[in-house]
Amino acid sequence: MQNTRRNALKFIGGAAAGAVLTPVPWRLITDTALWSENWPGIPRPLQGEVSTRYTNCSVCPAGCAVRARCVGGQPVSLAGVAGHPLSRGGLCAFGVAGHHLPYCPGRLTAGPVEAAAGVIARAAANCNAAAAGTPGAVCNPGETIGVLDLRPGRTASWTYRRAMGTVKGGLYLTAGEPFSGAAVDLSKARTVLSLGAPVLDGWGTPGNVLAARANFRLIQAEAIESRTASLADLWLRIRPGSASTLALGIAKALKKGSVAGAAEATGLAEAQITDLAAELTQHGPALVLPGYDCPEAWALNGLVGEFGVTVVARPEAPVPEHWNKNCAPVTPLASIADGSIRTLIIDESAPGDHIPWGAIRRKLVADNPVVIAFASSPAGYARHSLFTLPTAVYPETLEDIPAAIDSPRAAFRLAVPLVAAPAGVVNPPEFVAKAAGIDATNALRERADAICKTGRGVLITYTDGRAKPVAQVAPDDFWRALNAGACWLDTESRRAAPPHADWTAPDARPAENARLPLVAVLAETAPAAPASPLMTKLDRESNLRLGPSRAALHPETARSCGAADGGRAVLETALGKCPITVVVDASVPPGVVQVAASPEVIDICGAGARCRVASL
Amino acid sequence: MTSEKKPGKIRRYGMAVDIDKCTGCGACMIACAVENNVPPGNRGATDLTGITWLRVFKVDNGEEYPRKESVYFPMMCQQCGVETPCYLVCPQQAVDVDPATGIVGQMPERCLGCRYCMAACPYHARYFNWWDPQWPAGMEKTLNPNVAPRMRGVVEKCNYCHGRWHAAIERAAQAGLEDIDASDYVPACVEACPAGAIRFGDLNDPSSAPAQAARDPQSFRLLVSLGTEPKVYYHSKREWARRIGDPSQAPAPKETSRG
Repeated sequence: MQNTRRNALKFIGGAAAGAVLTPVPWRLITDTALWSENWPGIPRPLQGEVSTRYTNCSVCPAGCAVRARCVGGQPVSLAGVAGHPLSRGGLCAFGVAGHHLPYCPGRLTAGPVEAAAGVIARAAANCNAAAAGTPGAVCNPGETIGVLDLRPGRTASWTYRRAMGTVKGGLYLTAGEPFSGAAVDLSKARTVLSLGAPVLDGWGTPGNVLAARANFRLIQAEAIESRTASLADLWLRIRPGSASTLALGIAKALKKGSVAGAAEATGLAEAQITDLAAELTQHGPALVLPGYDCPEAWALNGLVGEFGVTVVARPEAPVPEHWNKNCAPVTPLASIADGSIRTLIIDESAPGDHIPWGAIRRKLVADNPVVIAFASSPAGYARHSLFTLPTAVYPETLEDIPAAIDSPRAAFRLAVPLVAAPAGVVNPPEFVAKAAGIDATNALRERADAICKTGRGVLITYTDGRAKPVAQVAPDDFWRALNAGACWLDTESRRAAPPHADWTAPDARPAENARLPLVAVLAETAPAAPASPLMTKLDRESNLRLGPSRAALHPETARSCGAADGGRAVLETALGKCPITVVVDASVPPGVVQVAASPEVIDICGAGARCRVASL
Repeated sequence: MTSEKKPGKIRRYGMAVDIDKCTGCGACMIACAVENNVPPGNRGATDLTGITWLRVFKVDNGEEYPRKESVYFPMMCQQCGVETPCYLVCPQQAVDVDPATGIVGQMPERCLGCRYCMAACPYHARYFNWWDPQWPAGMEKTLNPNVAPRMRGVVEKCNYCHGRWHAAIERAAQAGLEDIDASDYVPACVEACPAGAIRFGDLNDPSSAPAQAARDPQSFRLLVSLGTEPKVYYHSKREWARRIGDPSQAPAPKETSRG
């Protein structure tokens, strides 16, 4: 072969064509792809010493025990504590991502702290002056100041009671559930009738409920196929808003009365109601759990005769004796006169059940009431308050968590800070105590000492899972253990007295309303506080749950409303409107709107609220 | 490409999922996302474009109330043991089957984003990064240092929390042990499940939960007729739910629109 220009070009061209058929270019592409690993937009996880810390979750009132894996002191993952007597190693989806809460977009970190402090101090002084008949008092007679506590039983709750005790007529207010003093013992129940309670969807302490689940038959009476309804041993599909009528019907069946009215109102057969009543008495111990719209169900437990067995008094950890002196009594919000509160402080930093704003607004004076909300998010009562003071969130703050509803024994555990709170946030109880002129900076330690002093109960430490009688623990060691991850558990439970209920009321059928033809049913319970941004995995990215501001409609209902799947619409009730995104779901009964519970939705939807959906 | 053989015991990791116990709470999905640095859904993310290495589906028996029954199905990569479809089709050798563990892994830094593997996967267990991973300001501090975040344009999937496997090996090595303690390596979803519905173990160990599930007549595997030998065993007392395992055997129950 001659060395010609043509041959050289042929060689180069042939080599290039042949190279394509070898792995070389593909290997180069692979190596090129490797560079993309270090794009500047990709965050690099922090490195550091790996450690394990223990705390208790305060995202909801369950207070599950938490084991946190920390890297360089920063929690990077949370898990339950295996073998814990209350949470049984379980942690719900919200708790698993609890360490993301400090970084939620839209979190409040600044507010008019100084101004609010002055307002509280002046309001307290005015109330005292008005009560004493001092001329020139701004507060009218009968008007007062109150603190609304969404999670009673905490040490902070006692601080509020003590603070309000310094004010003449000062009120310490709670949600005002008719029988909030009850706790249940699921381990003793063999039959559980839930009138809409989300038993298998975050109710009580999830780990404890699931641990007891194998031992009881679950009957769910609910209008929609909720998660609990779909997993119950028996689902009774009742008409929306008729749970109270069903409770009444069961009571009448137990008293050998007629259940015809209840059957018509609930949509069940008479035999189903009488069989249900018989099952509660014959396959006991039984437990009747109220749902969102049926608080009178507690009283059914009295008729079934299980008070003291499956239902006990809601236990509370001991407090120092001097706290009981001069503290405001616990007052349900519903029991006070309308238009009587001039200044209301709402502690939303430890969320419990969200009370519809309308129920609160009624209790405020008509002219210029002052509402001060302690909140970490603008989505709750901050929408209605004059002053919103930012608070720390879990796991930034040291606070205690009272026993959950499914704990028959008193408990005391601390949510220990795992990260530092940002500057600018306030500690609600200390803030109120300071404004009222009392010292509460050491309240948690005082209460721990008071518990230790009783010598009652056991201390369960999370590092080794051991239970030690408190009588053998020194107060300093008790406090240290609580801060390192531990739980005090009482050894006693108290018998509860059944609440009174009127079983002679007529069977009410939900009212029809031509303008509002649909019925709204709240579903998909979620903490009122903001959740981790990762919750998109459960709603938008998988449709496992109804996401915020989403409402599910039967295809026929959606068609009649002119709404399409994924379309924007407005949910309207007698109390107001809110924007929603429509989800078309054949499992929702026609005529029903299954709407994700959020403060905005709860504010306009009561129990079985009539509503309409207007497509945008 | 197959990894070099590692010294030590040869395992075949698998899972046993009791769908009668699953309540569809989603704790496993969140724990998985936390552990593996899966970012929150982009504003435009939907159930088709979001990333959930583990996804819980709601499935019913197709009947109407009161005969209607539902179960929740946690679906993750089924870790096919034979003829692994994604491994076979990947032109980039970005899928790896570890002979020491049987775990089908994904190497996103090799992935070109062609998505052949997604098309090949019969379980729809692979997810594509349509957007750059983004966390709210400050939240990147909570990322797991054992798992590298993935970039836009690559595919990712469940790898039985391989970061935990490596961490367990490191701990064993530091302790001077030749092998890991079985309890030291548990994927995040297994650890998080409050119902104890997901269990994990070595299928080569007859006493492990998956090995026991493999022998249980009420256990089944998904699409087993494809011959890919998935290593996730589901268990249910409901016959209709078991039939879901292989639709060729019977008409498949319908999936609800929210599943």
